Amino acid sequence: MKLRNVGRRYGRGGPWVLRGVDLELPAGGLVRIDGANGTGKSTLLRVLAGIDRPTEGQVADRPRTAFVPERFPAALPFTASDYLVRLGRIHGLRGTVARERAAGWLERFGAEAHDRTPMDELSKGTSQKVAVAQALLAEPELLVLDEAWTGLDVPARTELDLAVAERIEAGGTVVFVDHDPRRLAGALDELYTVVDGGLVRRTGALPDGAEAGPETRIVAVGPPGAEPPDGLPGVPAYETGPDGRLTLTAPAERSDALLRALLTARPPWHIEEVRAALPVVPAARAVLPEPAQGSAGPRADGRSPDDRSDGSDGSGRSASPTTTTRHLTS
Amino acid sequence: MTALLGYQSAMLLRSQRWLPPVLMYGIFLVVGVQAGQPVLDALGYAAAALLPVTAWLVRICVTQEPAAARAVVAAASGSYRAHLAALLTATLFACGLGVLGTVVVSMVSRPVNADYTVRVPPLSAGTAGLVAAVVCLLLGAAAGALCSRPLVNARGRGIAANAVVALLALVAVGSPARSAVSGLVRGSLTGTVGIPGTQLVLSALVAAGAGALACAVAARRG
Repeated sequence: MKLRNVGRRYGRGGPWVLRGVDLELPAGGLVRIDGANGTGKSTLLRVLAGIDRPTEGQVADRPRTAFVPERFPAALPFTASDYLVRLGRIHGLRGTVARERAAGWLERFGAEAHDRTPMDELSKGTSQKVAVAQALLAEPELLVLDEAWTGLDVPARTELDLAVAERIEAGGTVVFVDHDPRRLAGALDELYTVVDGGLVRRTGALPDGAEAGPETRIVAVGPPGAEPPDGLPGVPAYETGPDGRLTLTAPAERSDALLRALLTARPPWHIEEVRAALPVVPAARAVLPEPAQGSAGPRADGRSPDDRSDGSDGSGRSASPTTTTRHLTS
Repeated sequence: MTALLGYQSAMLLRSQRWLPPVLMYGIFLVVGVQAGQPVLDALGYAAAALLPVTAWLVRICVTQEPAAARAVVAAASGSYRAHLAALLTATLFACGLGVLGTVVVSMVSRPVNADYTVRVPPLSAGTAGLVAAVVCLLLGAAAGALCSRPLVNARGRGIAANAVVALLALVAVGSPARSAVSGLVRGSLTGTVGIPGTQLVLSALVAAGAGALACAVAARRG
């Protein structure tokens, strides 16, 4: 999708909230929008999601879109699963598919016990899970998240991180605003800041106050003389050893996708080792305590052992701080 | 569009917000239509009552969804279609109400002219009454669409504007609703039934224009 010279103001003669915004959203890309309060982030998201039309400028090539608002008031006369099935049908799904996916997403977010609860009796967090499930069950080409993590419990946040990575892996685009600068910081493809109603693209930088998330190192052996496959998820840094072993380092959020890409490459690669990467500690910050996951031992997904126990996800955002500097390539 | 209509109508039916306007229509009929009254007079009255009722139903349908839920649907289907579905849901509901009211009124009133001397064919009287009802409900839908979100966002001003515009649409000279209703009442004097076809076309054009305008503004402002 492309935005060309987009401007938006409310009411004729009102001040411009956005002006002269040019933006091209990459397929399979994760885009973060930053900006101080009241700078027009939400306005931009509403234009991106197709809720509002820009006052001037064009939006071209709109894909199938889904939106998750920050606060989802549940004053609707439906049960959670009834609402999700109806939204699935509005997204263009058949009834049976919508029902299956609604149940699946409620389960993934740990809200399956509430599928028959009326929406106006749901807690704030469970309402937010329904709002997130509504968007994910549509498997949209463009997913717009306006602080969608707010109000979710920790497992649900992790699950949403993972779902975002899956959407990107499937070729979708995800645009998000979040108050936590570390949110998906390691997996970002592009970062923009809204300043004075305009959009400033920042490359090679993490959001203010963010540190790169944990990384995963994968050692793989390919067919003799083979180059690593193109377009690997997470844009991993890699080096080839003298024995033909390839060592790849990628954000932990993308490690599952990266493994899948290597295993399903033609010809496939053989995985020899997967472990949490030791963060590169810059000299100036070397006095910081050693991050916990550096000594966590070889785990298949680079998570700290207490992260989750069912082994069903690999998003692996760990709470322990790391000080790796990453340069975004996009 | 089917899914959107299903979503909107389920929201209307389950929320019980439909009850007050339906009660108002019922009270209008109970107060204004007596059994055994000349059929065309009664049908004219029933059609006129449907206009403010439809304006109210449209207002309910376009304002019943919380803003965040509306944004979610707008992203999935486009704001234009989302708003159109709300307008159509209210109009279709009013259609059902109009058909029901017209059938009941035709059955309880007597198929005669105003002074009980000339017999009026009941079927064509019913048809004319139904067309007049549709004329009125289409204008009511136009009034509701023009006086509610997103064209009039303030609640108090919207309700007042809705009432005034609905009343004007019923009494203003040149209004298709007034002309359709008075056509029935005038026909009742002589016992002749005329189907208000021109008025139907005019009111359909007004409703389509008002609906398109409201949806276009909804697409700009979500």
